[in-house]
Amino acid sequence: MTEARYIDIKRFAVHDGPGIRTTLFLKGCSLRCIWCHNPESRFPQPELAIHYPKCTCCGECAKVCFCHKIINGVHEFDRQACKACGQCTQTCPSGALELFGRTITVNEAAAKLLEDRIFYGNGGGITLSGGEPLLHSGFCTELLKKMQDEGIHGAVDTCGNVPWSAFERVLPYTDLFLYDFKCADAEKHRRLTGCGNELILENLKKLDATRKNIEIRMMLAPEQNMAPDDLQAAGKFLAPFKNISAIRLLAYHSLAHSKFRAVGHPDTLPDVPSPDAETLDRAAEILRSCGVKKVVNSLN
Amino acid sequence: MIFGTYAQDEEYLWKKFRAPQFDPCTGIDQDTAAKEIMRFAELDAPAPIVKARAFEFLAENLQIEVDPHDFFPAFACWKRRPCPMSPLLAELRKRIPLQQGELWGLLNQSGASNIWIDFDHSVPEWDEVFRLGFPGLLRNAMEWREKHRAAGTLDVAKEAYFEGIRITYGAMLRMLKRFIERAQGHDNARCHFVAASLQRLHDGPPQNFFDALQAIYLYFMFSEHIDHLQVRSLGNLDWLLTPFYDRDLKDDTFTDAQMREMFDHFFMQWGSIDNYWGQPVYLGGTRADGSTQVNHLTHFILEEAAKLHLPTPKIQIKIAANTPDEFIDKVTALIRDQNQSIVLVGEEGIRHIMTSHGYTEEDARTCLIRGCYEFGSRGRVHANTTGVGHLNMLKPFELIFNNGIDKQTRKPVGVPVPPLNALNSFDEFYRLYIQELDWIIEANIKVVNDFEAHLASINPANVFSPTIPNSLRTGRDAFDDGCDYNNSSLLTTGFGSAIDALSVIEELVYKKGEISLEKMAAALNANWEGYEELHRKILTFRKRYGNGIPEVDRFAQMLSRTLGNRINGRPNSRGGVWESSVHCAKQFIHQGAKTGATPDGRFAGEEMSKNASPAMGADVNGVTALLRSALAIDAASFPGDFPLDVMMHPSSVKGADGLAAWRQLLRVYFAGNGVAIHFNIFDAAKLKEAQKNPEKYSGLQIRVCGWNVRFTEMAKSEQDMYIRRAESIIE
Repeated sequence: MTEARYIDIKRFAVHDGPGIRTTLFLKGCSLRCIWCHNPESRFPQPELAIHYPKCTCCGECAKVCFCHKIINGVHEFDRQACKACGQCTQTCPSGALELFGRTITVNEAAAKLLEDRIFYGNGGGITLSGGEPLLHSGFCTELLKKMQDEGIHGAVDTCGNVPWSAFERVLPYTDLFLYDFKCADAEKHRRLTGCGNELILENLKKLDATRKNIEIRMMLAPEQNMAPDDLQAAGKFLAPFKNISAIRLLAYHSLAHSKFRAVGHPDTLPDVPSPDAETLDRAAEILRSCGVKKVVNSLN
Repeated sequence: MIFGTYAQDEEYLWKKFRAPQFDPCTGIDQDTAAKEIMRFAELDAPAPIVKARAFEFLAENLQIEVDPHDFFPAFACWKRRPCPMSPLLAELRKRIPLQQGELWGLLNQSGASNIWIDFDHSVPEWDEVFRLGFPGLLRNAMEWREKHRAAGTLDVAKEAYFEGIRITYGAMLRMLKRFIERAQGHDNARCHFVAASLQRLHDGPPQNFFDALQAIYLYFMFSEHIDHLQVRSLGNLDWLLTPFYDRDLKDDTFTDAQMREMFDHFFMQWGSIDNYWGQPVYLGGTRADGSTQVNHLTHFILEEAAKLHLPTPKIQIKIAANTPDEFIDKVTALIRDQNQSIVLVGEEGIRHIMTSHGYTEEDARTCLIRGCYEFGSRGRVHANTTGVGHLNMLKPFELIFNNGIDKQTRKPVGVPVPPLNALNSFDEFYRLYIQELDWIIEANIKVVNDFEAHLASINPANVFSPTIPNSLRTGRDAFDDGCDYNNSSLLTTGFGSAIDALSVIEELVYKKGEISLEKMAAALNANWEGYEELHRKILTFRKRYGNGIPEVDRFAQMLSRTLGNRINGRPNSRGGVWESSVHCAKQFIHQGAKTGATPDGRFAGEEMSKNASPAMGADVNGVTALLRSALAIDAASFPGDFPLDVMMHPSSVKGADGLAAWRQLLRVYFAGNGVAIHFNIFDAAKLKEAQKNPEKYSGLQIRVCGWNVRFTEMAKSEQDMYIRRAESIIE
């Protein structure tokens, strides 16, 4: 049975596509966005997170694994030596240790996603997100097909930075693509995400040609990707597309600092304020002035 | 000027029930009345007549006012504790021969249950009040007296019943006359406007929109502030007021704006009274013919309530399958904007419960909502249910782990407990838990049946009874067996906490063998002191109620079935039956204070879970998982009530998409026979900010249980509790 690593399953996910949804977050991503809100999803391999505010330094973890040490009331952790076996998470009495990247089979995932099916109704469904879910295109294909067989609406939330073949596999079983658009300029895109956007833009064009329903999601961060020039370039690129049902503007926030610390990644969150609803309204106006039709401000 | 003065009137309205001033020339003050009332205890007459004479004395002698700042008269019996009638009723109660006083004391002192005599959950037949008016209710009762006399069924008890009504309603009409004269004595257009309305109500039923509001207010004051019987709903106001509103608008009697101002004054009466338990009204649902009740008056009332933004009256919205989407969205948007006084009640679930217990579909459709969110039939058949006893679902654990000795009283309570090492399987443990629970249920029923046989002698319902057709037909007090259904509800406290405790015992003691019962007993009796690691382990135990885990939710099913089987349908002592309820009111705090540490990780004295909700912070899988857990329970096990509390983060329900998702959530919950559900929508950051800067958040309300309070007026420990809860919810 095909399996994948995941970081979380979120229920009553009302912002990952239409209606009430359950979102499965898969692990591994092909971008390194500086504003990443889910740093625990970046690497494909399992990782141990230490939620330091919850840790009481009781030392139970140190009894089962040499990677943990409590020295002078401080929890020290040898991340390099950690095999991410998860044994320590079983002993932690305060819930401070969490293993991200447990494996889940298609059948197990389907069972989890179907638990809330009574709430989906005609408008809701399931969303595969990440990380980048299409890095697991085989798993996604099987899972989406199962959902389709059950009459459940399936959405894929993608950054688009995967081979087109990955899209081709899931296309027959996907009702909606939530497609991230970071910025139109390739060099800036590389600076913000560690990767150029050529493949992403090319895939978006191909996806549009399939006439599948696409919702563009633009996360806007001050001083990063929401200057008038950025927005005009984005608007000009997106205006000609035929099958984009909406462009949803999301506001950057800096609430993920503790997550970076928990998984031991260098914190790259830009020190800029979160844009307010009025700022996003102004951004929406710029996009509309370029001929983009349905722009949705997620803060309204 | 009669209208357009609400802003100037508001100061008077706030003080009306908090620090009112009366002209001494109009009569005696409340404290004097409470002393003088005791002379009626000397009367050699049946209880209904003794009480009616006392009522008459108060109606004729209390100070009164009709203030130019108000559309509604003021009574000098504004203080609720004590009501002027209280000392006399205490005396009447002493005359009742009780057999189970000692057992009653043990239950209440131990916290195994908490029982008091309940006269706080009745609702008049408002349609009868509107159809007949005060003089018509009196005339109707007297006609029934004559019918009984002619039929030869007017025995001594019935004669006292009808005579009590005659005296009481006669006094009410004379008190109206006093108000009229007082109003006419003021050189003020509004006072004269009020006098004219009072005159119409003196002579007959309400004639216009204002008379209708006045009739509700007056009935409330006569019943609750003088006759000492709470009025636990002002009725389905959209149904009651629509004919008056439409006619007055058509005839140019009043404009919409004028009726809105009258209504604002009307609601402000209860804003000023400000009982912590809140004054219920209900809206929406369906009519007897199955069409939706949601109309322009439903919107009118909702809009005025939102504008006033008062913690009380609290508004119960009946949601049916045909309730329009846009109306539900309007309601939830108001809740999202911190109108926490709104609670949602599902007609489908009520239909499921009521038809499972012998009521018809129409009884269910037209049921009234009363109290916090309880329901009951009205109209064709009237149900008057008392809430008598709060079953402490955690007390059995304390008894099992403390050799059958209650820690509060240090007395044996419940069935004898065998040595813990004799409980070789979880089934044996569970059986003992149920035996302890059974003992408390039986004791509760024994105590209540003892005193409920005498309700009509303890507090005769002279104002209430004539509104109930069956009461007049039978000549029986509406708190005796005068209503069509005269039921007694046994409420439940700590339902979710008990499930968690059972889950911990099953998993950690019997399945994994990680803790022995003896060690658990030692930890609980030490209130976890010295057992901190074990305590932390249990706190992170995830198999808890409210997470949609079938293995855990089966305990919810088992316990609800057990409660239903043991309680529902048992005869009470006034011609009705017992009903199980998973509603707990404030007892989750009070009984928590009387209960030792429990296996779910609770410290001694801490609150328990409330209603059908999980323990605070136990539900970590989101709102859909929480609803799945609740829907795993057959609501028909709880004909007394089945309420659920939900806290959600504002980001979950923001925008039109959020409201649409919320509506879908509600539709699914109600279609699955969920009953009452109320929401708190806020984030921890906002609550912390409000705690730090209360002056900026004086309007922030929290739905506590069946009522709501201002966050800034809560004790810091209670505020902290809600902040912890908010921190645990998922965005």
